[in-house]
Amino acid sequence: MSATHGTVFLLDDELGMLKALTRLLTAEGFTVRAFTSAGTFLESYRAEERSCLVLDVAMPKLSGLDLQQRLTHAGVLLPIVFLTGHGDIPMSVQAIKAGAVDFLTKPVNDADLLRAVRAAMQRSAEQRERASETAKLRERLASLTPREREVMDHVVAGQLNKQIASDLGTGEHTIKVHRARVMQKMGVESLADLVRLAERLGLGNH
Amino acid sequence: MSWVTIIWSMVASACLTLAAVNLLVWCKKRTEWANLLFSLTAVGTAGMAYCELWMMQAGTPAQFGTALRWLHVPAWALLVALVGFVGLYLRAGRPWLAWSFVGLRTLSLLLDFLVGQNLNYREITRLRHIPFFGESVSVAEGVANPCMLVGQLSLLLLVLFVADATVTVWRRGDRRQALTVGGSIVFFTLAGTVQAVLVLWEMVHWPMTTSFFYLGIVVAMGYDLSRETLRAAQLSEDLQESEERMTLAAEAAGFGVWMWSIARNHIWGSEQWLGLFGFAPDAIVTFENVMQRIHPEDREQVERAVRRALEDRVDYAGEYRVVLPDNTQRWVTARGRVYPDTQGKPIRMMGATTDITAGKQAEEKAQRQHEELAHLSRVTTVSELSGSLAHELNQPLAIILTNAQAAQRLLAQQPPDLAEAREILADIVSEDQRAGEVIRRLRSLLKHGETSLQPLAVNGIVEEVLQLSRNNLIGHGITVHRTLAPNLPQVQGDHIQLQQVLLNLIINASDAMSANPPAGRQLTVVTARRDGAVRISVSDTGCGLPPDAGRIFEPFYTTKKHGLGLGLPICRSIIAAHKGRLLAEASERAGGSPGATFHLELPPAAEGKL
Repeated sequence: MSATHGTVFLLDDELGMLKALTRLLTAEGFTVRAFTSAGTFLESYRAEERSCLVLDVAMPKLSGLDLQQRLTHAGVLLPIVFLTGHGDIPMSVQAIKAGAVDFLTKPVNDADLLRAVRAAMQRSAEQRERASETAKLRERLASLTPREREVMDHVVAGQLNKQIASDLGTGEHTIKVHRARVMQKMGVESLADLVRLAERLGLGNH
Repeated sequence: MSWVTIIWSMVASACLTLAAVNLLVWCKKRTEWANLLFSLTAVGTAGMAYCELWMMQAGTPAQFGTALRWLHVPAWALLVALVGFVGLYLRAGRPWLAWSFVGLRTLSLLLDFLVGQNLNYREITRLRHIPFFGESVSVAEGVANPCMLVGQLSLLLLVLFVADATVTVWRRGDRRQALTVGGSIVFFTLAGTVQAVLVLWEMVHWPMTTSFFYLGIVVAMGYDLSRETLRAAQLSEDLQESEERMTLAAEAAGFGVWMWSIARNHIWGSEQWLGLFGFAPDAIVTFENVMQRIHPEDREQVERAVRRALEDRVDYAGEYRVVLPDNTQRWVTARGRVYPDTQGKPIRMMGATTDITAGKQAEEKAQRQHEELAHLSRVTTVSELSGSLAHELNQPLAIILTNAQAAQRLLAQQPPDLAEAREILADIVSEDQRAGEVIRRLRSLLKHGETSLQPLAVNGIVEEVLQLSRNNLIGHGITVHRTLAPNLPQVQGDHIQLQQVLLNLIINASDAMSANPPAGRQLTVVTARRDGAVRISVSDTGCGLPPDAGRIFEPFYTTKKHGLGLGLPICRSIIAAHKGRLLAEASERAGGSPGATFHLELPPAAEGKL
């Protein structure tokens, strides 16, 4: 059951709060890992399938917003639900802009919190999915020979076969064969699909 | 009436008058033995004059002999008293000479009654009548008594004794007294003795007039004594005058002066003093009367101070309230000194009392204003912390809500998790108590309160204040370091005011560090013992002290944009009222930001009860 609900990382310097939140989230079937400081959290964090972070903004040493920044820079995909003692609009704007799922004010109603946590889990699942798709595409991209890769770049840039052949100093027919192999290896049917795929992999603009 | 009778009676009555006067003096003041001895001398001289008159008017030899025999009684008294007078009054003379004289003279008095007709004659054969002052007086003829030599030897001893005493007095520098008393005694005693010898050995035909010579001595002694009396009178007049001057000066300065004669329990007070206590201007009051006018709450303290002054012979000082008959109250301060008699027993207490009501009222008003200002500053401090305090209250409420909702969910499960729900309820109770504690602290900080000093643990106050400002510090991204010394002595202080001062210092520190990067915001609180005082130091790594750091404790001096400049002056006055010190110091820090340290030093509470 916990596998389906996901793991909630809890971070609050107040032990009482930590305990209460753990009880609520556990009762709702989430796996909870609680930490009282950002330091211990960072040390023991391991990526999980479906997970999110419920984070108290006001923490000594490393604040919630600082931690969010740190995680983003490290490329950690972990949706964050912020909790704060006092609702501070500029702070919440900053958090949301930086990708937070929600910004809740304590005392927080259980329904609001659970809704936000479920939304975060949803986002986590999506992120995972998208990440695994991208990883598959990268694998395909890696399976292209250097020549095929060259041809693909020109195709995506919108050049005709003839132009590509003259650029690469080879026959138009050879280009055609390469192009068909690229389409097949990357698993697309049309040129439009290939261009979208290249964009997703960040190849589009040189 | 014959001239002889008149003259001798006059001599006798003059002597008796002087004797009576001096006897009275002695009766009033029993320590004045010189006056009693003088009085005895004078009475002796009068007795001699009487016996001489008796002799001159004797009709038969037997009568003459009896008169002469009785003459030696007053003579003995006179001479012994004279020796005593010289010894006591001149404070000179050798005791062995005096005692030898007294022995010889007493022996001659015994011989006077035991051998022959009297000391001078073994037998008086006949009386001769000779003219004297125009009439006929009796002179004796007969066989001389050799015992007379004992008497004359004693007179020689007397002269020796007095002469020796006179030399001592002369050497002592009291020349006038040596001459008038010593000189005249020697002179008149010698003259009287010579006259007596001449008459008794019948070398001249002349009646005995020794009393005349002793009259000279009495006059000389009387003169000197009365000089002394006059001098004492002058002295007492001077004293009274200076006393009046002192009273006048004291009254002009607003002091009421008083003197308490302890044995008689009679307090004399100047008009101003009597007025201070609401007594009539000429009232004679007792210690109890005064106590009645003292405020009941102050009575015991005054009584204790007076008793201590009397027992330990220390100066008395007191400050107390007087309640007048019309129920008005005034504050007075009194000082007094105990004067003991020669045995060291306190006989008198004198002092001055003054009205300090105006000063007291001003003091009370200043105290009230000080408390008012401190309260205002406290309210300001608390409002600066309001965000933090709101959080401090919000936190337990949030925990309670989440716990309660978790419990609802646990109880809705099948089967319900009762064990967990029980634990949740326990947590809810403790969080609720925590919230209540925050409110209680807040209320006490905002309360209008009179300063109440009690023994306090410094570390406890530091912890409470850090708790109250915890969220403010976290919100400012400040890291708190604390080093609290164990086993610190307690201090005598007002809990709320000390909290206020510490809060103020912590808020100042966190304001000073607001421009620092987060890593450079370090607040350090240290408690320690230093030079006998208990010291709390609050250090920051902020912008440091302004160049004119000496002014930070001045009212209305501020470096903050929205500061009133009253926080630190009020803190300093609070600490001054605790007999402590509040000091600012630039932190010495190599490299990093300058920073400031505030030291709060308080004296430890006295061991035991205060």
